[in-house]
Amino acid sequence: MTVHQIELTGINKYYGAYHALRDIDLKIRKGAFVALVGPSGCGKSTLLRSLAGLETISSGDLVIAGAKMNGVPPRKRDLAMVFQSYALYPHMTVEQNLTYSLRIRGVDKAEAKRKAEEVAATTGLSHLLGRYPRELSGGQRQRVAMSRAIIRNPKAFLFDEPLSNLDAALRVHMRKEIRALHERLKATSVYVTHDQIEAMTMADHVVVMRQGIIEQQGAPLELYDRPVNKFVAGFIGSPAMNFVPASSGSDGKSLLLEFEEPQTIPFMRPVKAGQPLLVGIRPEHFELAGDSDAMLRLPVGAVETTGASTYITTATQPELVIVLNSRAAIRSGEIIGLRFDPAHLHLFDQQTEIRLG
Amino acid sequence: MKRLLLSISDGRGFDIALVSVPLTFLFMMAGLPLAYNIVMSFQEVDMFSLGTFLRPFVGLKNYATLFSMPETWPILKNTALFVIASIAGQFIIGFGLALFFWTNFPGASWLRGLFLVSWVMPGLVVGAIWNWILSGDFGVLNYLLRESGLITGNIFWRSDPSFSLWAVVIANIWLGISFNMILLSVGLSTISQDLYEAAELDGANVFQRFFTITLPMMRSTIGAIISLGLIFTLQQFDLFAAITAGGPNNSSNVAQYWAWDLSFRQYDFAQGATISVIMIVFVMIASVVYVRSTRHEVRG
Repeated sequence: MTVHQIELTGINKYYGAYHALRDIDLKIRKGAFVALVGPSGCGKSTLLRSLAGLETISSGDLVIAGAKMNGVPPRKRDLAMVFQSYALYPHMTVEQNLTYSLRIRGVDKAEAKRKAEEVAATTGLSHLLGRYPRELSGGQRQRVAMSRAIIRNPKAFLFDEPLSNLDAALRVHMRKEIRALHERLKATSVYVTHDQIEAMTMADHVVVMRQGIIEQQGAPLELYDRPVNKFVAGFIGSPAMNFVPASSGSDGKSLLLEFEEPQTIPFMRPVKAGQPLLVGIRPEHFELAGDSDAMLRLPVGAVETTGASTYITTATQPELVIVLNSRAAIRSGEIIGLRFDPAHLHLFDQQTEIRLG
Repeated sequence: MKRLLLSISDGRGFDIALVSVPLTFLFMMAGLPLAYNIVMSFQEVDMFSLGTFLRPFVGLKNYATLFSMPETWPILKNTALFVIASIAGQFIIGFGLALFFWTNFPGASWLRGLFLVSWVMPGLVVGAIWNWILSGDFGVLNYLLRESGLITGNIFWRSDPSFSLWAVVIANIWLGISFNMILLSVGLSTISQDLYEAAELDGANVFQRFFTITLPMMRSTIGAIISLGLIFTLQQFDLFAAITAGGPNNSSNVAQYWAWDLSFRQYDFAQGATISVIMIVFVMIASVVYVRSTRHEVRG
């Protein structure tokens, strides 16, 4: 039996008439790193703040480490949060920032100082303990915010888009650092982000949310390989998955892709004939093909190259994005042949956008 | 010549020209009278020498005379009491109200704006209104205190020597509350809500949050408001003129009112100037504190 550090059952949250969280069920294993991801306004931050106790939930059960926490104030939940703005106390030095929670708890001064030094040593802040937050760089502030959480040894860490104020290079670096920290501390972590790459690379359990609903949750690759609906399929992965309206061929062994000039591709899995479909395929699952084995022949719109990869946008309606991990001498206006493994096709119902098969 | 013109149109000369206008104004309207006042405190001034500038120099005689007068120490003590009680009252009630409106209940900002009415009213009008409220026979304050059982007989606020100073203090607190509240509200609104949430998660209860976040973050605002309060209370003249006129028997007299009384009613300009100089010293100290505290703003 796995131990659940956080258990949410049937959580609902209303702001007046606005239904911000709808029947959220989420179980978080002890020591897991869970990412809540979704577009802005999807309720991920509300969910995190409800966990922290900064928002009150309207209904449902919120259990942390076996204790029901519905009405418990934040200070008694023993959770640590890293804010997007870091929320460092500007009138305190780094050391005072780190020891704040200990001092509030009445830990004696020498002990607090010792712990601060210990944590600072692991996060590379030892030489900055006497500085004020305004004298630190963005990355250093971020580290102070993290250290302030670590020093408490809380029941869980909550991260509210902690990397969004950093520049791209630093963000990639901090991503690894947070992950490494998690490997070392094995602390239960809930991480809110709008960046699916952050979610995919850092978490061992990703929760995709939209409009207050959990659309899908699971291991990162599970979400990538078997998205339950068009939204998740389009949200996870970059560049986003291509979608083409289609219908199944009368022989039951092919699909008719509805470009301006429809194209037929072979397809083995059984599909109801004539059902309106949406076919999804990821940009990285295409390969260039010669005349003999091409499954699709499409005109090229734009070609962009980064050196390592080539991004091709087709001149079709809807347009497809193709990523090749090689250089290709392709020019705009050319007709190219493409092939792909049919196992990589995702089928969705055109009306409900739910995955088929 | 050309270089000078160029400098004035675009360069250091231009900067100096801009700065010199307000500096000249300040010097003429504040600097000269101030200096003249200090000079007068070392001279023998009477009605006959009032029109001349060169008067007999008497050294510290005016100061010596002042401190040998029997009313001097009681009046200075009154001044200190008036300043401390007024600032304390204005600050504590103002801070309380600022915290109250900070909770942002519906209509909070609208109500807060209404409070400014007291700040807009002229001191003489405020004094006249408080005269009625404080009136011994028919005053509302006495009525309230009597009906709530706090007192049995009427207090003659303005004519009882043990209450007369407090009558002015009460009116002055009322007058200054809104100013304190507005400045403190502004200070409160600059504190990021995130800090309170972080402190809350760090385990701080509402009192701990107040003493570890609000108060230290408000340090510069509080420093500014207390030094401004010191300056404003030392300037408070209208209320004394309207409510007690310093009486009875100097029991509610303070330095600023006394200085005016000596100069313009008893025509003892030298003594009036001497008291003013002593007050200038205190106002200077307050100004330094004010400038320093606004410079030391902590903003993350």
